[in-house]
Amino acid sequence: MRVGLFVTCLVDLMRPKIGFAAIRLLEAAGCEVVIPATQTCCGQPGYNSGEQTSAKTLARKLIGEFDGCEYIVVPSGSCAGMIRVHYPALFKDDPSMIDAVNRLSSRTYELADFLANVAKLKSIPGRFSGSLTYHDSCSGLRELGVQAQPRALLSKMPGVSITEMREATTCCGFGGTFSVKFGDISAAMADKKCEHVAQTGADAIVAGDLGCLLNIEGRLRRRGDMNTRVLHIAEVLAGDEREG
Amino acid sequence: MQVTAMHFKRKAAENLHDEKLQRALERLQTNFVNGRAAANAQLPNFEEIRNAAAEIRRKVTENLDRYLLRFEQEATARGAVVHWAETPDDVNRIVADIARQYGLRKAVKSKSMVSEECALNDHLASQGVEVLETDLGEYILQLAKEPPSHIVAPVVHKSKEDISDLFEKKHRRTRTTQIAELCREAREILRPGFLSADLGISGGNFIIAETGSVLIVTNEGNGRLTTTLPRVHVAITGIEKVVPTLEDVTTLLRLLPRSATGQSITNYVSVLTGTKGKSDTDGAEHFHIILLDNGRSRLLGTELQPMLRCIRCGACMNHCPVYQNVGGHAYGWVYPGPMGSVLTPSFVGLANALDLPQASTFCGECAVVCPVKIPLPDLLRHLRTRQMEQRLRPWQERAALSVWSWMAQRPAVYAVGARIVARLLRLLAGDKKRLRYLIGVSEWTKGRDMPAPAGRTFRDLYKSGKTS
Amino acid sequence: MSARDNILARIAQARNPHAAVDVDNEIRRHSRGPVPPLEKDLVKRFCEQAVRLASDVVSAKTNSEVPDLVARYLNERRLPLKAVCWPSVASLDWRAAGIEAETRAARGDDLVGITGTFLGIAETGTLMQLSGTSTPAAVSLLPETHVAVVEKSQIVATMEDAWDRLRAEHGVLPRAVNFVSGPSRTADIEQTVTLGAHGPYRVLIIVVGGQDSDQ
Repeated sequence: MRVGLFVTCLVDLMRPKIGFAAIRLLEAAGCEVVIPATQTCCGQPGYNSGEQTSAKTLARKLIGEFDGCEYIVVPSGSCAGMIRVHYPALFKDDPSMIDAVNRLSSRTYELADFLANVAKLKSIPGRFSGSLTYHDSCSGLRELGVQAQPRALLSKMPGVSITEMREATTCCGFGGTFSVKFGDISAAMADKKCEHVAQTGADAIVAGDLGCLLNIEGRLRRRGDMNTRVLHIAEVLAGDEREG
Repeated sequence: MQVTAMHFKRKAAENLHDEKLQRALERLQTNFVNGRAAANAQLPNFEEIRNAAAEIRRKVTENLDRYLLRFEQEATARGAVVHWAETPDDVNRIVADIARQYGLRKAVKSKSMVSEECALNDHLASQGVEVLETDLGEYILQLAKEPPSHIVAPVVHKSKEDISDLFEKKHRRTRTTQIAELCREAREILRPGFLSADLGISGGNFIIAETGSVLIVTNEGNGRLTTTLPRVHVAITGIEKVVPTLEDVTTLLRLLPRSATGQSITNYVSVLTGTKGKSDTDGAEHFHIILLDNGRSRLLGTELQPMLRCIRCGACMNHCPVYQNVGGHAYGWVYPGPMGSVLTPSFVGLANALDLPQASTFCGECAVVCPVKIPLPDLLRHLRTRQMEQRLRPWQERAALSVWSWMAQRPAVYAVGARIVARLLRLLAGDKKRLRYLIGVSEWTKGRDMPAPAGRTFRDLYKSGKTS
Repeated sequence: MSARDNILARIAQARNPHAAVDVDNEIRRHSRGPVPPLEKDLVKRFCEQAVRLASDVVSAKTNSEVPDLVARYLNERRLPLKAVCWPSVASLDWRAAGIEAETRAARGDDLVGITGTFLGIAETGTLMQLSGTSTPAAVSLLPETHVAVVEKSQIVATMEDAWDRLRAEHGVLPRAVNFVSGPSRTADIEQTVTLGAHGPYRVLIIVVGGQDSDQ
């Protein structure tokens, strides 16, 4: 399977090892991984801010870049959701684009979903020992139905014990630009999430979206919690244990 | 009701630190969220019923005038008078005229959010008509001179101690904090009002085209008393509340109480048709039904049309993590939470409620729980688009988005920019690996650290042959 | 142009021509939506749901047992044996049970109201009351205690069944159809459910009929 990896702007800027972990996982699943070099942003910030024109421009760019890939895999529920759910909505009144868009979006998957349901990864390359709790990122959960897949993959790892937190599916408060427009509310939502994480006593909190993870980690550390690890599921599954 | 939606951010910030409100919101969340889930679980074919309910409401919005005309025809044939009101002022004028026409001085009122849009009580008071709210929550708000903070549970923001204090001051009886006693006290105070009122004012949860009926749902019994005892009944509702048949309203009634409070059915469902006739011993002699537009018809034919499906259950706000944290008063008008964030800008003007469509993470839970499948996040996004088109956003926001978009279209420039930012942030963080302050994003850093980036971008690392 | 004209014009102008529905035809057909599956024993379902919604439910084999059951209920709660009732239950022997029952509409100070019912709805344990000369609505609303007598044969499965029966037996809707599902209640104060708001504090439903069938 020829898989195009869309690493996402946040991973590119803030935590590249998630991208490398994704490559490792996809290769372990027997995929040939290509990384279109000119990729930048899926267009979601503009789209959610009501700026449709730039969103369409960036969407066209991405569609062109990933043409020729059998699948597009994204280590982010929100970017995968943008491509899979919102690109078709963006171009619904554009007959010249709608076929290309539908072709692309129907082949786009969030990473854990792809590994579990398409590539059917049986043996997890990573090693992790400890307890973890999983936060369900909103777009992954509600737009793409990602919920069972990450847990199924994680429970294949012998050292992992999963403890479910209260309100695992409640929004962490990131919401993209929401986090910098309504910081008070965003931080309060993050605080509740941190409280639920703390109540589990887990060693690590894991999720599939770096936006959520930065938000949760930011609040954890400000609360004085320096110990709870904050990890992307790719990092856990691929076993990149080194502190970056 | 006066619009204070433009103060959302400030009020939200205050409410976040209001311990009492936070506890009240937790109670609301626990009861209504769990209640709805348990109630819907009792319906093995819940999704099928939900699809049917959504289709009924969707179909109505597509043919609103036809159903309204049929309703008017049937209601009039049964002796009711149907009035059409474009604005809140129209409603107020019509009710005042009715009071004058029949010489009415005392009104009892069961809950009507549409009447809140109109500030009807104040207008009637100025015309010499005394209005007594009879829904316990609305009565409490009338005493406290406060607006509701939720469309179903209007005094969710008050503790029983607050209500005790209020009753002690206003009723001049021995103070009690026992909830059952407070309810008994309200019953005793309000009962004489029911018996002596000459005007009963209600809302209408639905109006039924087939029979020309107004349907109201209550638990307390005040709705029945208001619409049975006084000699004139005025029902006020929005034009979008029409439903085709008795069977259709039955489908909707399966979901409305479950979505709202977790009940399988409200204590009382009253279907009111026409006036007291020869075969009646009670009921109003005169029945006036007022249909209010106030901007609803302008949503038709636009992306916001689905909002008119709303059956006012409140599930969206009960499940909204933003509402759960800031409460209803922050939204600054009649309707809070996700549905309020669509309706308020639509009814009072986009420019008067700029923050409301923005104060959402698009988590999507509202759309998941809406019994009539309104795509609320899409509607909020549409309002954001309108704000952009009308240049209502701060220039800094538009500029930042322009810069971002410009760079993202130019990979070479983008790569350089990202490289610089990654290195800079890493340097600023030092070996703490996080930043406590960062210029330009104080909204983030006032409540959270910013974890430091790795220092090099994925693009650069991959290009240079690294594999981790 | 009146408000009515303006509103209707705006609506008509925005209407999607491809989505038009023949409203009169649709209303004539009044098709049912999906209903939840219900157990066959409707009486059992009705009683269980009514109890769940905080009514008190007792059975009687025949109508003649009713006055004693009511007297027992009132005595257990130290309530006065004085009631206002509907004509349909007036011929029961209240005096023999020690109850003073007047056949008239309820006043603000009446404490017990005794009614029949048009139908019982099994799905939600609901009583369907129709307004009329011999069925004044306030009898089930003003007093603190409401007693309702229901024959087993009056119990139908769903509200849809109830509308069909109403259409068949009455043709048009009466001024008020009231669906009653238990004592009045409110949860406005701290979301704590309190029974007894403006309507009755308690509802006694007496289900009358032969041996329980398990058809």
